[in-house]
Amino acid sequence: MAEPVEDIPVEEPEAEVEVPKKSKKKDKQDRANYPLKVNYCGVCSMPFEYCEYLADYDKCKRWWEEHFPDFFERAMKIGDGVDGEGDDPKKRQKRGGRGVIKAKKQVEKSKISVGRVTRNKKKFVTVVKGLETHGVSLKEAAKLFGRHFSCGSSVSGDEIVIQGDFVEDVMVLLVEKYPEIEEDDIEDIGKQKR
Amino acid sequence: MFKKFVAKENVSGVTQMKSSAIRGVRAKLIEDYPGLEEFQDVILPKKESYNLVKCHERIEIIAIGGEPVFFRQRDGPYMPTLRLLHKYPTILPWQQVDKGAIRFVLSGANIMCPGLTSAGAKLAPAEEDSIVAIMAEGKTHSLSIGLMKLSSEEIHTVNKGIGIENIHYLNDGLWHMTQIK
Ligand SMILES: [Zn+2]
Repeated sequence: MAEPVEDIPVEEPEAEVEVPKKSKKKDKQDRANYPLKVNYCGVCSMPFEYCEYLADYDKCKRWWEEHFPDFFERAMKIGDGVDGEGDDPKKRQKRGGRGVIKAKKQVEKSKISVGRVTRNKKKFVTVVKGLETHGVSLKEAAKLFGRHFSCGSSVSGDEIVIQGDFVEDVMVLLVEKYPEIEEDDIEDIGKQKR
Repeated sequence: MFKKFVAKENVSGVTQMKSSAIRGVRAKLIEDYPGLEEFQDVILPKKESYNLVKCHERIEIIAIGGEPVFFRQRDGPYMPTLRLLHKYPTILPWQQVDKGAIRFVLSGANIMCPGLTSAGAKLAPAEEDSIVAIMAEGKTHSLSIGLMKLSSEEIHTVNKGIGIENIHYLNDGLWHMTQIK
């Protein structure tokens, strides 16, 4: 019994992955095709076929060339990119100019700095700055420090203030607890004056 | 919904979901999306941790094993994230916009009727208020998840104004939220 295959809006089987035809017959083999593995661009995070709509398209292409050379070659053969929109200038004019969409900028990572601030000669507080640019939640990190060093620890603006001198310990703890933080990301800025 | 969404700022809390709540969600999803049923064991595995991520503006995201897979707003219907849809494209009905509409959809604009009725578009029958995958002329993967503001029939006859509301699209804040910590 041949079930009719539903019409699906796929016209370019040339793209980086082929969508299996959606059929009403749901046998095991059908299911084995899923989940589909879609490759996403390392520059703009989109499926390759949408890279052309983002601002860094040239960077995207260079990334394809490096990581998916086969796909890159095929795409370049077809023309500039997977799919130029240039074939219908009338339509484009009517719909307005080519609005280039900016890729979400990765927040520039800054150094994490750890320093000591003197509070009345013998007492210190440790100040940690720059954590948020590494995707660390300040609130959570402050809690972690407090728990770990059994002391007061709080978020103050864009820095964390820990009651006590824990410069060394903080540096060790950060590298240990956060896989995204490397030792080189942290600098000891020493004694700070307020 | 997620144009200005930044996970770090908009998430107000993450809680573990109870198994009764998970059962409820599973039943609701299968009811809403018959295409999901055949994949329910892999999309909604029994032995995985389910987190409910509460965000501002009463947005809730369900993360399974740390991965955001469904979301909803104000007790509305649950919708799959695009990353899940890319893995199982058949769980939603498809609507196809013409090539010219792509860049607008990608900047978060709602989908206008003419972009759904022109030569490059394909409009499948769908009811008002149903959730659909937005595909595009000449492309393989979905670029947005939308809510039908009119039925397909009305889109054809009216043929102006908003046809489908753009709920979640490639490169928006939810797209960039790949893991729940
Ligand atoms: Zn790209």
